[in-house]
Amino acid sequence: MLKSKKIIILTIFLLIFSLVAVGCSNQTADAPTDSKPLIVAQRSDAVVLDPHANNDQASSRVMRQIYENLVNQNEKMELLPGLAESWEQLDELTYKFKLKQGVKFHNGEELTASDVAFTIKRALDSSHVAHIVEAINPNGIEVVDPYTIRIATTEPFAPLLAHLAHTATGILNEKAVTEAGDDYSQTPVGTGPYKLLNWVVGETVELVKFEEYHDEAKMPKIEKIIFKAISEDGNRTIELETGGIDIAYDIIGPDVDRITNAPDLNMVRDMNLSTTYVGFNVGKEPFDDIRVRQAINYVADMDLIVDAVYLGTGEPSKGPLGPNVWASNRNLQPYGHDVEKAKELMKEAGLENGFKTTIWTNQNQQRIDIAEILQNQLKQINIDAEVSVMEWGAYLTGTAAGEHDMFILGWVTVTGDPDYGLYPLFHSSTHGDGGNRTFYTNEQVNELLDLARVNADPAVREASYKEVQEIVRDEAPWIFTWTGEELTGIRNNVKGFQNHPAGHHKLWTVYFE
Amino acid sequence: MSQTKTLIDKQAVSINKKRRSQWLEVWRRLKKNKASMVGLFIISLLVFAAIFADFIAPEGFDDQDLYRRFIPPGSNHFLGTDHLGRDIFSRIIYGSRISLQVGFIAVGIAAVTGGTLGAIAGYYGGKLDNTIMRLMDILLAIPSILLAISIVAALGPGLVNVMIAVGIASIPSYARIVRASVLTIKDQEFIEAAKAIGANDFRIITKHILPNAMAPIIVQATLGVANAILSAAGLSFIGLGIQPPNPEWGAMLSAGRHYIRDYWHIATFPGLAIMLTIFSLNLFGDGLRDALDPRLKD
Amino acid sequence: MHKYILRRLLMLMPVMLGVSFIVFTMMHITPGDPARIMLGESAPLEEVEKFREELGLNDPFLIQYGRFVKNLVIHQDMGRSYTSKRPVIEEILIRFPTTLKLATLGIVVAVLLGIPAGIISATRQYSIFDNTSMVAALLGVSMPNFWQGLMLILLFSVKLGWLPSSGFSSWKEMILPALTLGTSSAAIITRMTRSSMLEVIRQDYIRTARAKGQVESVVVNRHALKNALIPIVTVIGLQFGYLLGGAVLTESIFSISGVGRLMVESISARNFPVVQGGVLFIALTFSIVNLLVDILYAFLDPRIKSQYK
Repeated sequence: MLKSKKIIILTIFLLIFSLVAVGCSNQTADAPTDSKPLIVAQRSDAVVLDPHANNDQASSRVMRQIYENLVNQNEKMELLPGLAESWEQLDELTYKFKLKQGVKFHNGEELTASDVAFTIKRALDSSHVAHIVEAINPNGIEVVDPYTIRIATTEPFAPLLAHLAHTATGILNEKAVTEAGDDYSQTPVGTGPYKLLNWVVGETVELVKFEEYHDEAKMPKIEKIIFKAISEDGNRTIELETGGIDIAYDIIGPDVDRITNAPDLNMVRDMNLSTTYVGFNVGKEPFDDIRVRQAINYVADMDLIVDAVYLGTGEPSKGPLGPNVWASNRNLQPYGHDVEKAKELMKEAGLENGFKTTIWTNQNQQRIDIAEILQNQLKQINIDAEVSVMEWGAYLTGTAAGEHDMFILGWVTVTGDPDYGLYPLFHSSTHGDGGNRTFYTNEQVNELLDLARVNADPAVREASYKEVQEIVRDEAPWIFTWTGEELTGIRNNVKGFQNHPAGHHKLWTVYFE
Repeated sequence: MSQTKTLIDKQAVSINKKRRSQWLEVWRRLKKNKASMVGLFIISLLVFAAIFADFIAPEGFDDQDLYRRFIPPGSNHFLGTDHLGRDIFSRIIYGSRISLQVGFIAVGIAAVTGGTLGAIAGYYGGKLDNTIMRLMDILLAIPSILLAISIVAALGPGLVNVMIAVGIASIPSYARIVRASVLTIKDQEFIEAAKAIGANDFRIITKHILPNAMAPIIVQATLGVANAILSAAGLSFIGLGIQPPNPEWGAMLSAGRHYIRDYWHIATFPGLAIMLTIFSLNLFGDGLRDALDPRLKD
Repeated sequence: MHKYILRRLLMLMPVMLGVSFIVFTMMHITPGDPARIMLGESAPLEEVEKFREELGLNDPFLIQYGRFVKNLVIHQDMGRSYTSKRPVIEEILIRFPTTLKLATLGIVVAVLLGIPAGIISATRQYSIFDNTSMVAALLGVSMPNFWQGLMLILLFSVKLGWLPSSGFSSWKEMILPALTLGTSSAAIITRMTRSSMLEVIRQDYIRTARAKGQVESVVVNRHALKNALIPIVTVIGLQFGYLLGGAVLTESIFSISGVGRLMVESISARNFPVVQGGVLFIALTFSIVNLLVDILYAFLDPRIKSQYK
């Protein structure tokens, strides 16, 4: 008798647990909709939906659908009117923007110039994205009338328009931000074609068509978009194949052929704005010797490495800037694979017996593979390299402090303007944590970069940037490695999808067939 | 006084003898258990492979050849080649070195530290006991994988740091076991006797108490080696383990997982190697426990 | 009994304080600047500095820790996540149901597989079933679960196309993760059930029951199992506590957004408040589950109950 009581208690105990478990389950009740939602998978969930509170790719990809900018940048990185119908440059510091009228925010408010002024001032205050707008003079923002605004920079800043097309400068509604306070990052209000419907943190973000969207021509064709976080790379492909999702971002190399060959799937491939490089700490022996850096450039068989590691995706880099970036110099002479030349240079440098060194990388399988292959190839000129895989945080700290020898890292020239892709990486004022982790210094490069930043003449800028790229190629603070590719897998009933080189693809053009 | 001392020493000698015959008895029982002998056999093979890897492995563990990547298992490469064209069989053989090292050293760290703390806590009791055991409770309350991850994050990855991380995370269980054994032994007569002749605490703990608490420690350690190898592989899998190009099985598995659908062998064999190792350690550990605790077996 | 529970609960406080201190110290000696990681490698230095200031990272270690404890004790506030700006407790509670579900399902799988297998093995000791299920159980504990997860995905999602490979919202999505997580616990429960049953079966009262001519199934189910339950329940409880905090690898293989993965991501992002709050939360859950197991233990065995007085 007593024992059966215990059994009952035990059962109740277990029941409570399972009830608690079931009770806690968040009911993602599938409300009936007229049309099928578009399900898009990316590696991680959005972190915040406030453009000034973070600057990560996953969030930007969602925010692209919610917010709009003064200026748009199309898939060819050309600048087009956005919320600003037109603009003109008044002098070398000041631009005047004419806003489109009758634009509604998701909360029903109408867009005015004061929202733009508010947005830019708020961005300037942000510790996350201020660098995107830092050229702007906070006192030079002037609301002329409800649909006209003047924006002035402190110094001449040529790439301003490209920066105003960055997701970080999406226009916010002052009232919505003020009302939401600390919680704004979860209750975004923009003017974009989609608005936030529901957010299951860590799993899905659901967007729904904004019925009062201002541009009839760009009215979304699909009622609902669901962004789903699938962190395990191979699983995005599996889900795409089994029809669990409609679009999968960031397909990995081994899956590209599989999707290309599948009858019901398509691969959408376009070069993007990212680059991966092997850097030398030129502030440290023996990498302060240009001959050593060149020797390693000669001995590294980058075409083979890139082919083995990236399996035919992207392309071996020809310079510090990818082909999509304006003023990218496509005529740089590649070092090629020449072991004899490498040995010669090492001998000239007095290092024919080689030396010991380390190659740092973070926990990225492709970069680890590059490091391992490079380690092997360096043996040919007697360099004994040790591979050191570090955790991201420690890696950034270590390379900023100059504790490293060789390292593998990437960069995304997200604005498509060479200023963003060269200045932080090669100007000596940005040594270490500022982005120049090779500690490369060259007075001529400094001057050219400074000049091109403030000069309004595109021809002058282009010439300067091309020259910088020449010098960097010759002085070899980097081994140019790989230029990335946007690899998107879609089901073949998905039409109207186009990759954007910056990675935040527009989804309002997509429709089902 | 000296007379008593010899007497006690004689007694200790006879205890030692008794102890020796006890271990012989355990071995006799263990030998009868076929499963655990199979386990022991596989472990010996692994140890053999680890020691003589240079002779057994057909190639070095980092002999890359980018022109022979992804070769399936066959006559040239028994278990195929990986994504950098390295012979997987050779890497698994060399990998046994790393896994066994991690397993045994991590357990060594845990058993020695945990054992010492447990012995001190049990022997002295009182406040010291309380402090040590609360500390152990704290460590126990943090899931061991998270503890290991944060230790590796703090120290940086690498063989030694992984051993330390995995070792520290399993200290509390040894402390508890040893403390419990010490508590049951410390009031027995021969300990009283040793105290009476003025043997110091260190001598009493190491000479008299610990040898008598050995059985549960050994069982825990055998199974602990298995757990340590699994934890290290798990750390490698999430990229916090042993540095490349060292052929750690978990890291091999992790590197191969992107290719798993086209080239199943890259991730499968390291997984099997881990499984076989853990399996044999568990077989042996189970047998050992039964042999040490004769109540269970007839 | 009440006193015992109260004492145990009181004892939790210094333990939790200790946990928080250890985690705090560990996060602070770990190289890597949270501000830099959060802002990315392309953010300029001034911005990083400003962000550090905002987060209060420039204060001395002990002041930061003191602030944490003060906010926790006085305002019951664990701060906000560096990245999402959400309150830490919200960040954890959003994910906890998933983790709880996963752990519960894992345990259900483990119990459903483990207890019957253990009973049959024990009642037919040394039979083929016994040997097979013991080998299977051993293989179960020996399989690294990240590997097992991959293999299950390969079989059920890729080859057969029966089950999805990611997510955790529909029951179909829950099967593979629950199976992966449950296997090693099932193996442990099988082994515990078997040995505990074997011990009980040898007792006099079982012999008596048999001698009285009771049907074997009644002997096994009514007499033996009940008495063998105590250690089994303990193991189940411990496993449950362990699964609540240790599902890190399963969660990442199946892209499940649970507390374990939140922890790993937060450790590598140096998202201090979330690591701090999360570990504290997991530790507390683990300790409470342990306490519940001990209480249950007392219910099942009056001899133990009397000790608690």
